[in-house]
Amino acid sequence: MSDPRPAEMEIEGPKRSVWRNLSLVWLVPFAALAVTLFIAWQSWAERGTRIEIRFENAAGVVPDETAIRYRDVSVGFVEDVEFSSDLASVLVHARIDNTVAGSLPADAQFWVVRPEVSASGISGLSTVLSGVYIEAAFEPQTGAGATAFEGLNETPLVKPGMKGTRIVLRASDGTMLTAGAPIFHQGIEVGRIETPRLLDSGKGVIVDAFIDAPNDRRITTATRFWDTSGFDVNVGPSGINLSVGSVAALIRGGIAFDTVFSGGSPVPSRYVFDLFGDEASARDSVFSESIDNAVDLVVEFDESVRGLEAGSPVTYRGLKVGSVMALGAFIEEVQGQQRVKLRASISIDPRALGLSPDAPQAQTIAFLAEAVQNGLRARLAAEGLFSQALMVELAEIPDAAPAALGIFDTEAPVIPSVASDLPDVAATAEGLFQRIDNLPVEELMDQAIATLASIENLAGDENLRSAPGAFTALLDDARGLIGGEAAQALPGELTAAVSELRGIAEDLRRADMVGKLVETLESASAATDTVSAVADAFSEATGEVPDLISDLRGLTAKANEMELDAFIEKATALLDSADRLIDSDAARGLPGSLSEMLDEARAALAELREGGVVESTNATLASARDAAAAIEEAAQSLPRLSTRIERLVAEAETALQGYGANSSFNRETVAALRDVREAAAALTKLARAIERNPNSLLFGR
Amino acid sequence: MENAGSAPRVLTAKAAGLVGCTQCGRVHAPGVALCSRCGAAISSRDGTSVQRVWAWLFAGLVVYIPANLYPMLRTTLLGKTTDSTIFGGVVDLIHHGSYGVATIVFVASIVIPVSKFIAIAYLALSVERKVSLSAHRRHVLYEVVEFIGRWSMIDVFVVAILSSLVQLDFAAQINPGIAAVSFALSVAFTMVSAQSFDSRLIWDADGE
Repeated sequence: MSDPRPAEMEIEGPKRSVWRNLSLVWLVPFAALAVTLFIAWQSWAERGTRIEIRFENAAGVVPDETAIRYRDVSVGFVEDVEFSSDLASVLVHARIDNTVAGSLPADAQFWVVRPEVSASGISGLSTVLSGVYIEAAFEPQTGAGATAFEGLNETPLVKPGMKGTRIVLRASDGTMLTAGAPIFHQGIEVGRIETPRLLDSGKGVIVDAFIDAPNDRRITTATRFWDTSGFDVNVGPSGINLSVGSVAALIRGGIAFDTVFSGGSPVPSRYVFDLFGDEASARDSVFSESIDNAVDLVVEFDESVRGLEAGSPVTYRGLKVGSVMALGAFIEEVQGQQRVKLRASISIDPRALGLSPDAPQAQTIAFLAEAVQNGLRARLAAEGLFSQALMVELAEIPDAAPAALGIFDTEAPVIPSVASDLPDVAATAEGLFQRIDNLPVEELMDQAIATLASIENLAGDENLRSAPGAFTALLDDARGLIGGEAAQALPGELTAAVSELRGIAEDLRRADMVGKLVETLESASAATDTVSAVADAFSEATGEVPDLISDLRGLTAKANEMELDAFIEKATALLDSADRLIDSDAARGLPGSLSEMLDEARAALAELREGGVVESTNATLASARDAAAAIEEAAQSLPRLSTRIERLVAEAETALQGYGANSSFNRETVAALRDVREAAAALTKLARAIERNPNSLLFGR
Repeated sequence: MENAGSAPRVLTAKAAGLVGCTQCGRVHAPGVALCSRCGAAISSRDGTSVQRVWAWLFAGLVVYIPANLYPMLRTTLLGKTTDSTIFGGVVDLIHHGSYGVATIVFVASIVIPVSKFIAIAYLALSVERKVSLSAHRRHVLYEVVEFIGRWSMIDVFVVAILSSLVQLDFAAQINPGIAAVSFALSVAFTMVSAQSFDSRLIWDADGE
């Protein structure tokens, strides 16, 4: 075991300098520092340009979260939101990527995209979950680098950078114009309008519209715009015309356009177009305003031009060849007298006359001058059947007084005019009804009714039934009567009367045949039927009167010569025949046929009134002409008929006067005969009326 | 033993004229380059230790700054993207009432790393200067720092797990931010820093 040795001497060299002593490890913190600094610098450099957007409000904008998007790519974030110094608006500060910020022009548009539901659809749905974002739209300008912008309150309809043409539409009111309403061309949506705004004058509305490329090349000076929104109902000579646009257009309104004539030239941006109320007026607007070589003419009218107005059409053989430009009055001095004449300026499109589109005015005027020589005249005409509106019609009137196109140096040529024959349709229709009402037909019927009533009274008279009571007196009278020679001759006369009545009935039946020819007059003929039936019944009844009288005569003779029992027997026979008369079908049928006739008469009148509707009148006019001829023919027999009736009644009266009695039977028979005579008179009147003017039945004149 | 009652004076290997192996603890005669037991390079004292400690510590500090300034997590929920830094995450958790989790995150991500920086700096300083804390306590401190350093990685693990699990496209998506990398580096650097410290230096000062 040895003593512990002292520790070895530790010998150290001279202390190395601090720098020589440095370990390589020190590279690590410096590398970390370098990397950290680099990252810091990079994020500093990449944080983008700070811009400021002024919004009215910043609903939904959240600092650090709300993105700024350009073409749906995020290009930055909102940093902070603050008020402007006057608290009137909100300043949104955002960092925009430098690549984008450098190209931001001062008119770049920013708006907050929010979920939006409108008639045209739903937009911004994604922002429901992710929150709003700010959309930017601009046309990049390298080196612009603006940093302060005005934000929009709502999504702009036309974003900068879209290709197309911006135009301006001018309308009288903005009722049907809503922002974003589509513009259609041939049913395809090719653009949209922006928010309408009032003109400074307040008299009208203008609205900016944007037509997308490439359809914007359809817009030329020949383009016309019209409103297609809502329903459009037109009632015209061609019937009812209902046009409805698309449902979206129904809700939002819509505008359509079309090129209405050829040869338009391209329009510059912000060209102003008029917006027309409907397609027809848009197309009509083309006349004269767009034609360089339209010929202006003047027409002078003596008559009222009520219903004519600027824009009224000028037609030639039904074809629109121009329009009325202006109306005015002037004083003309004719032979020392001052007369007011009305003057219409019209404009004629040479193309509509078949002349070459670029025909010089002189050529058109020469053409018209020649036409005037051949009888071309201007006159007023109604635009439609029921329309009060007038138009100027150029018509060729063969027998017109010779005239020439008045060509003066200073004014437009004057085309001679003729008086128009404007049919007052309404008045005519009314007059037709009135005259139908005024026809003696009703009088005739009244007379017939009265006659029938008398006959009925006669037949139903109690005195006739209780004849036996009054018979003693009658027999007394009859005795005296029959004793006379006149009574002896009566039977023959009665027979003659009856045969004549039969002839009347025959005539009436013939008239009936004629009546059946025309459908319109069918009811009238039915009435005639009834009249003839009445006449038949009457003649039948009359036919039995002689029997009755002969029975009477026989009875009276027997009463004179025979015993009471024989008298009673004869009286019974007389009563039987009287009963027969009363019970006869004809007599019974009288009230029935009367009411039947009345019904038919009523139906005939109703049909006439209903038939007054212009359409069916037109439809029947042709056959009515034939019917008129037939009526005339029938009417010719009417006087003969009435003469016969009159003669018959006279004879009957004469015959009955022979009885000389005051019995009610006689009185009523006489009254009945008087009615028959009145009926005959009415028939004559009708016959005369028809004879004078066969058309009166149809046209009331 | 005559001086058994007094605190025993620690006899270091160096003081005994020997060289101890830092890996297995065997002592060797001076001049031996490699440990005869475990083969580790042995030296009496590592002259560059303190220098390396400072270097790694400094690197850890440098990357700890962006780790706190940049977002740790980038959460995309229904198209809405939220960035959260470490401290911002703690504040959010407190707002949501998750005090426990907030405490864990706060301790693991802020308290421990900061404490580590301070502790390592203190130990490194204590080698060259006289400090009041005894060598025994400083050694305990060193042990604690070395043990607890790895647990700071818990935050990085959370981010890594969340990022890989929550990838539900539009509904929810979580991505690590740049701070996650920084923080991981910071933790790694401080761990290396602690490893670089030659704990025997604590006793050298004590022995004088």
